[in-house]
Parts: sequence; structure tokens; C-alpha cells
Amino acid sequence: MEYVNPEGLRLDGRRPMEMRQLRGEIGVVSKADGSAVFEMGNTKVIAAVYGPREVQNRSQQLNDQALVRCEYSMANFSTGDRMRKPKGDRRSTEISLVIRQTMEASILTHLMPRSQIDIFVQVLQADGGTRSACINAATLALADAGIPMRDLVTSCSAGYLNGTPLLDLNYVEDSAGGADVTVGILPKLDKVTLLQMDAKLQMDTFENVMQLAIEGCKAVASYIREILLDNTKQLEFRRGV
Amino acid sequence: MIFSKVKGVLADEVLDLPTQCPSSRTPPPPSPVTVQPPASSPLDFEVRLGIAGKVVKRYSFLIGDPLMVGLSFGEKNFIKGGIAHDLRTDGRKRLTYRPIFVETGVIPQASGSARVKMGATDVIASVKAELGKPNPSHPDKGKVSIYVDCSPTAEPTFEGRGGEELSTELSSALQRCLLGGKSGAGAGIDLSSLSIVEGKVCWDLYIDGLVVSSDGNVLDALGAAIKAALSNTAIPKVQVAANASSDEQPEVDVSDEEFLQFDTSGVGRHYIVDATTEEESQMSSAISVSINRQGRICGLTKRGGAGLDPSVILDMISVGKHVSEQLINKLDSEIAAAEACDEDNEMDS
Repeated sequence: MEYVNPEGLRLDGRRPMEMRQLRGEIGVVSKADGSAVFEMGNTKVIAAVYGPREVQNRSQQLNDQALVRCEYSMANFSTGDRMRKPKGDRRSTEISLVIRQTMEASILTHLMPRSQIDIFVQVLQADGGTRSACINAATLALADAGIPMRDLVTSCSAGYLNGTPLLDLNYVEDSAGGADVTVGILPKLDKVTLLQMDAKLQMDTFENVMQLAIEGCKAVASYIREILLDNTKQLEFRRGV
Repeated sequence: MIFSKVKGVLADEVLDLPTQCPSSRTPPPPSPVTVQPPASSPLDFEVRLGIAGKVVKRYSFLIGDPLMVGLSFGEKNFIKGGIAHDLRTDGRKRLTYRPIFVETGVIPQASGSARVKMGATDVIASVKAELGKPNPSHPDKGKVSIYVDCSPTAEPTFEGRGGEELSTELSSALQRCLLGGKSGAGAGIDLSSLSIVEGKVCWDLYIDGLVVSSDGNVLDALGAAIKAALSNTAIPKVQVAANASSDEQPEVDVSDEEFLQFDTSGVGRHYIVDATTEEESQMSSAISVSINRQGRICGLTKRGGAGLDPSVILDMISVGKHVSEQLINKLDSEIAAAEACDEDNEMDS
């Protein structure tokens, strides 16, 4: 199947190095300490953060740092075909773990010993790149909750199909069988915190594809920064500063 | 179908309470009756239309009530005293609903979807239609199933399997009032309209609810969201090719251009009303009633341990019926506004 047509356009009309439209919004779950919606094209994710708060299960308490927990869940209606999967299947457990590790790397956990931070991500619509969208939503929600972080973690995926590196794969491209590289970075420190790839790639192609994904992460980072600044300005305005 | 609930204090007892405050500046001293209700007398109750809001509370009792740990004795009295004075903590009267916001078409992949916000309660409902085979015992009817999922974003205790009990309770309450009996009689949705070829093909409607944020009265919000999602649902008009032999599955043409608009025979349930999580934690019992547009009762559930006098229940039902009329109208206009907004967006894009 042709994923990039001779004019250089992808199935959804994007150029190979073009991202889907991003949209982020802060404060969508009023009861949570921090929350956000993040959309990448048709992929839509809600993240809610509770904490730092008392550790619920004492045996898990860490005396030198905060305990970070994460749960990923998909709504029944999030996929094209309606699915009804039991909670805690392998895929969601793995994604929960990945998100937790990535977020833990950026949270200054040593400032909040003996406390717990819960991150819940709920996928409302899945159209490829849910991992990346979840991480971006979680970053926004953590920032909204005022949790101290080293840097904003952002994530983006890139793939390689028809001999072309493609940025931000959607579901059709993702399931095409080509390589799919998901990268998470700390943009200011310029460090990679998450790197996953399936299928196989030439070494030098991999470098290109990963570089493309990193550029995507940076674009997401500047967008997230914009949202946060906007939000802060609004808060400032409401306080009458 | 819409649900509502009513929370209030028994009318007689309200009138009997010594409610005059000595000074308007100091908060009213809680009346002795309100402060120390004998365990057996339900001082306040909630009426809901077939909703499961009470579930939250029951669930939290079982696990040591982690949610409500934050309520002090004074706060509890404040809530109870406010209800006795017909002025609740958020400024509402006993029979006033929180403002309802409806947004339709939020899930593009679904046949119909809606998001409903009532205060801090936020739910999403989606309707998906799939072609299926009718049940042999009711060959002329389609099938509808309702599932509710409680996302941990709403409450950290819903993590893992923690939300399952509440999910089941909400789904069964909704099924009870929307789907009618086993035969499909008395359902809020006309199941025979889902039939395509009798005994061969019918539409299976999957209604999924998702609780994104919960601040009491989740059942009413879900009922409203399902009603809005159904009114937003468009299923393709299906033509059956006549030349198929009788043994084979008929061919089905799904045309994208014509749509059947799908609608429920509006069922609403109301009466109370719309308690927040804090208020729910103070309820001794609740009644959920679902009432349809004609003012008939479609479903009724009593929750909570304290017993209620039958006359009180009848009274609550009549209040519910009264409140439901306003709620149904309000919801209709909200849905119409949301649909209009949705259509505008589609035209723009």
C-alpha cells in the first residue's frame, strides 16, 4: 500500500514531516489536583493528577522520595471497533509502566518524601500515538498540579514507510508494519528519557527517524509551554495581579 | 431518558424544626433534631431517578470511607442545617439542579455521543451501532446494551478494579429503567425500530458511559448524557437486497446519505436533587425514580440502609415527578442548543 503518494502527501494529507494538529487544555477535571486534555489529531487523552498526598498503602512508602503511580485506561468507545477488554491487560500495564518511568524521571521526587503522586490517564479516542499523547497530557497535568519538575517531558513518535521517515504516525500508518519509534525527551536539558522501537531499521535510517521524532518532541514542548504560559496569564488576570 | 434525584429533608420534619436563627450573622445553630437523629429515623433522604449516585457512598462505607474523611462534625452539621433551611452549601434550594451543560458529537468514531457536565460531575456517553443477529425469542427486535465505566481520573479509589462495583451498580440501574423487562416491553428505547430483517439482521446498540469526574449524582448525569447521545445518534438507513435466498444472510447495503434519526421516548427521573459528594455522604437513604415524558414511572430504586415510611416514598415520587418536568424541558433545550452548535461546526469545517 502506498503511504506516501508521488506528490509527497500522506494518507491524511500531511507532508512527511508534518505533525497532526495539537490541542491542549488545562483543568478539565475539577476535582483533581491537576488535569489536562491533550489531542494529537484524532487521538484524545485526559490526564488527572492527585497528589502529592499521604501514601495510601503504607508498605509502599518511600522515606527518601515520593512514590509515583500511574494507571492507563482506554474507554470502550475509544477505538473504531468497540472493544470490551478487562482492566489491567498486558498492553495497558506496559504503557502504565512506561508513563510512570518517564514522568518519574522529570519529577523532583526527593523534595516530597513519604508522599504519593497518582497520575491517571484515560484514552477517549485512540488513533495512533496514544503513548505520546498520554505523556504529553501527563506533563500538562503535573504542571497544573504544581508538582516540581526538572523539565517538561514531551513525547512524539516517528516511523519509516515507503522509504520516507514520517513524523507522528496515525493508526493506519502505525499498523502498516513499518518501524515505529517513540521518543520522550527533556527538551531544555536535551536528554532522552524514553525510547522505544518496534520492527527493524538500518542503523543510519534509525538515526534520521529518531532525530525526526526528537524534532517533533521539541515542537510539542514549545506548544505545551505556550499553553502553560496562557494558563498562567489567565490565573494572574483572575487574581488581579 | 433522563434521571434526576431529589435530596431533601422530610417535609414534616422540616416544618417542625426550630429553624429560627437567633442572629442572622451567626450560622444557624443546628437544631437538636438534626444534630442527633435517632439512627432509625431517616431525617434526610434522596430521591433519584433510577440513578446510582448512592453507590459512591455505599462503596466508600465499605472500604472505610476514604473520601469523606475530610468532613468534620461542624461541616456535617452545616450541610444538614443548610438542607433544613432550604439553602444548601452551594446556594441551591433543595429542589434545584446544578446547571447542566451538554455537548454532543464529542466522539467522532461513535454513531452518537454526548458529554454532560453538572457542577464538577462530568460524564461522556457514546452510542455505537453494529449489525447483529436478533435474539431468537424476539426476532422482530434489536438489542441494546449499556455499560458504564468509572475512570480513575474521577476518583483515585477507582484505580484497578476499584471502580467495578460502582460501574456495575450504575449500569444495572440504567439498564433497569432504559431497557425494560426481558421481553423488551416497557423499554425507553423502541427496540422494534432497530429491526432490519425480522429474525435475520438487526442493529445492536452499545451504549457506553464513562465517568470522567464525579461530584455526586453521577446517575442523573449519565442518564442525561445517554439521552443526549441517543438524540445525537444517526444510524445508516439500510436497504435489503430482495434477491437473496431465504437461507442466506440477506445482503445489507448501508447508505451513507440517508440517516434515520433515532430518539428515545424521553424518560426522565427527578427529584432532588442532585446532591454533591459531600451531601451524598450525609444521606441515610435515597430513592431513584425514573419518570418519562408522560409522567409515568419507568424505574425505581431505593438505596441506603435506613427504612422509609411508604407515604414518604410516595411523597418523594411525586416531588420527583414534579422536578422531572422541568428537568426534561431544560435538558431538551440544552440538547437542541448543543445539536445546533454541532451542526454549525460541521458546516464550517
